[in-house]
Amino acid sequence: MNELRDLARQLLTDGTVRVIIGWEDGRRGARPVFITDPADADKLIFDTRCAHNLVTYLDPRRDDVVNLGRIGIVVKGCDAKAVAGLLREAQVARDDVVLIGVRCGGVLEEAELREALELNADNVAPRCYGCDNREPALVDYLVGEAQPEPPRPTMTIDERVAALDELPLEERWAFWSEQFSKCVRCYACRQVCPLCVCELCVADKTRPQWIEPAAHARGNVSWNITRALHLAGRCVGCGECERFCPVGIPLTLVNRKLQEIVAQRFDYVVSDDPEKPAPIGDFRLDDQQEFIK
Amino acid sequence: MNIYQPHLMTVVDTIDETSDTRTLRLEFADQELRESFEFRAGQFGEYSVFGAGESTFCIASPPTRKGFIECSFKAIGKVTNALREVNTGDTIGFRGPYGNWFPVDDWRGKDVVFIAGGIGLAPVRCVIWNVLDRRDEFGEVTIVYGARSVGDLVYKRELEEWAARDDVRLVTTVDPGGQTSDWSGQVGYVTPIVEATAPKAENAVAVLCGPPIVVKLTLPVLGKLGFADEAIFTTLENRMKCGLGKCGRCNIGPVYVCKDGPVFTAAQLKALPAEF
Amino acid sequence: MTDSTDTRSERPVSERCFISEAGLRDLTADLLESGTEVIAPVAEEICASPSAVASAACRMPGETPVEIEYRRLTDAAELDVSRGLPVLSLKGFFLPEHEALFCWEQRGTTITIKPVPTTFAPRVVLAAKPCDSAALEIVDKVMNWGHEDELWNGRRAATTIINLTCPSIDESCFCTAVDLAPDSTKGADGLLIPVEGGYLFEPSTDRGREFAEAHKRHFASGCGGEEHRNRQAEDERAAARTRVAANLEIDAASVRDWIDTHFEDPLLAALGARCNGCGACTSVCPTCHCFDIIDEQTGVGQGTRRRCWDGCQSRLFTLHASGHNPRDTQGARYRQRLNHKFAIYPLKFGEVLCTGCGRCTRVCHAGQDLVEILAAIDVAARRPGTTTSPQEDGGSSAAPPAEEQVAS
Repeated sequence: MNELRDLARQLLTDGTVRVIIGWEDGRRGARPVFITDPADADKLIFDTRCAHNLVTYLDPRRDDVVNLGRIGIVVKGCDAKAVAGLLREAQVARDDVVLIGVRCGGVLEEAELREALELNADNVAPRCYGCDNREPALVDYLVGEAQPEPPRPTMTIDERVAALDELPLEERWAFWSEQFSKCVRCYACRQVCPLCVCELCVADKTRPQWIEPAAHARGNVSWNITRALHLAGRCVGCGECERFCPVGIPLTLVNRKLQEIVAQRFDYVVSDDPEKPAPIGDFRLDDQQEFIK
Repeated sequence: MNIYQPHLMTVVDTIDETSDTRTLRLEFADQELRESFEFRAGQFGEYSVFGAGESTFCIASPPTRKGFIECSFKAIGKVTNALREVNTGDTIGFRGPYGNWFPVDDWRGKDVVFIAGGIGLAPVRCVIWNVLDRRDEFGEVTIVYGARSVGDLVYKRELEEWAARDDVRLVTTVDPGGQTSDWSGQVGYVTPIVEATAPKAENAVAVLCGPPIVVKLTLPVLGKLGFADEAIFTTLENRMKCGLGKCGRCNIGPVYVCKDGPVFTAAQLKALPAEF
Repeated sequence: MTDSTDTRSERPVSERCFISEAGLRDLTADLLESGTEVIAPVAEEICASPSAVASAACRMPGETPVEIEYRRLTDAAELDVSRGLPVLSLKGFFLPEHEALFCWEQRGTTITIKPVPTTFAPRVVLAAKPCDSAALEIVDKVMNWGHEDELWNGRRAATTIINLTCPSIDESCFCTAVDLAPDSTKGADGLLIPVEGGYLFEPSTDRGREFAEAHKRHFASGCGGEEHRNRQAEDERAAARTRVAANLEIDAASVRDWIDTHFEDPLLAALGARCNGCGACTSVCPTCHCFDIIDEQTGVGQGTRRRCWDGCQSRLFTLHASGHNPRDTQGARYRQRLNHKFAIYPLKFGEVLCTGCGRCTRVCHAGQDLVEILAAIDVAARRPGTTTSPQEDGGSSAAPPAEEQVAS
């Protein structure tokens, strides 16, 4: 990954950025790294284990990162869409970040491995299939070799959602109730999501207490459904919420379903173009939807 | 009964000290507890409105007065706003007394200097009355109290009582711009007023409580006046829930404010990591 | 609990006996039949659902479709003795994710408090992980500091815990580095050690001995007539200890003292750089016990005051109503985690608030690796100012040298 390392070294040396956020090799696999010393640029890697969406570190509430100065961040296509989301919602200023895009052919579902694996139908993350942003446009630099399309997984994420949709309502509800009953309300899903950046999350508000903090059925269903709804039209499908969930709730299925609904109702899919108006969070007098006028 | 179960308290009086601070006088619903309840100056409790939650305040009345306890608070969040809505006759919850206390007995024969800012007078008021109720045991008593404006002074009625006593030296002040046309006290921030008041440090202890900035600026002034760090006492606030040392929330480094505190000497304070 | 006073002086402190595989199942069945709650590891299909379609929809092909969780058994056949690590620890059976502290009813200004029980029916945990039961004894200390937590103590008093020797799990375990072992009985009442044909059982408390006595028809005395089982047991334990010890060695006392005296050290801040504040580590940790107390209005004139799991990695944890937050950055919050576990708790209670189970490392997908972090602190603590290779140090063996560990 010399192209990436050389670029990083250059950007740090000439002061374009004060820190590069990328991936490095750790004892247990690829993981995020914050590089401030050009000499450390050789730590940077990019391979099929780099599932992490680093854009979570651009959360404006993370003073310790924001205060480092201008940030260089390595982004895959899905990550770049998350940056677009933050730009669209004025959470990040374009000048504050330098986006280093990488050409991506997909990542592993089980990414915590010491060695990168070649992708196949059984090990690829289902969310990667059909990716429309493998060469992200919203970038200042684009590095890496052209990558093949991610292999078709044994069951695509849309097939998974469709399978759930075919269930009668009671069965589907029983399935999700059981999944949400596993929730321990650690809020890993929220913390890692690059678009969950509300100054005070609705789950944390106490006057009134919109969502009960306790991990019983009422609290868990409230939380999980609210989380998904608040990401409708914003979720970029990076899958980090599901990857981070310590009890294995299949959150990407909920998010994907809402993406489908938004696509049908509003003719909208999330892209890495921050100028493209979003159905939620965008108000203009010439809104394309009639009902809002 | 478990340690998280509160006692039931009847609200017998409510005093709106300022536009956003309030004092409640509470009686134990349990007759026996009303007589037997004991605590020491500086201890705190968890007061609750059933349905809103619990909040932490010191016991603001002195231990020398039986049959009731008082608390004073600023209405700033969910529970304190709910407490601002309670009326005489309502029932609230109380768990306590928790924490350590001011070592009032050790101060016998000494001069005692009380310094407080704003709502910080609440925990200090408890000790003031504790000392005044045992007046003979102590030397000179000096009270320096200030608030942002006249409207922000708490315990106004008691300030008058203390001013009227000839065995207490009371200095009240408001921040510049906070005075009214008929204000007869000092005008100035608490810290320079303490310096001007210049209480004697020899054979004296100081009790200091207030917003963090007041404490931070006043400590060196007391040092300059000759007060040793071990002779300056303060009480700390921190976010608390259980009040019993179990929920893991209130620690400052290795010190749990609810169990190892909330009363600390300046010497202990200086040993704490910068995490409060 | 771990009361080691032996009231039956004619019996030796540890009395080994043998139980076959089938015998263990039968014992489990007996317990269930007698109405005793049995908690044990159970292998569950990930995304299990009565609907095969739903299960298939969410399960990733190629991944192990099974994970292990501690569950209340409904049938002896559910007992999993594969010795894999359950996803969540035993903590939730003693400090539930949420529990009522009391309920109330209100009529006008009259409040009536409805207490909750603080005594619980006797129950048994079988095949517990030693790191999980040890955690319970460690948390006992804070739960009885000054005030006795009746809910925690009630559940502890009601529970007999039988450990199953752990083979060591993977490179993220480090129980031996925090003065425990894969065959520890701390916090438990006895230990099962796998041998040919079944297990040797060693009670470690009176309650463990009573357990063996109560179920003696399933046990053969000694090694059940097969001498080699004794040898197997010792080999099994020694091998497991060696495997875990290879992951990490630290001087816990030096680590404690270093953290206690280096609060502002940039190393501590740097170690938390990747942390998202997600709290996954807290929820899976056997010793994390921090909780919140909240009121729930459950109906007109009725409510519940509940405690529920909380954690220091949340920004809200120390946020004052005034808006002031003593731990306002993730670095400060991560420092608190290390401080509480490896310095504060040991200083206050003489116990490390960590049993080396490794769950936090495995569940952290941001790459926070406690083996690496402890190794870095250990190096800093033992030889401040130098950067010798840890292997030469005789210390932390699995981690790269100090200057490479700090990810920045």
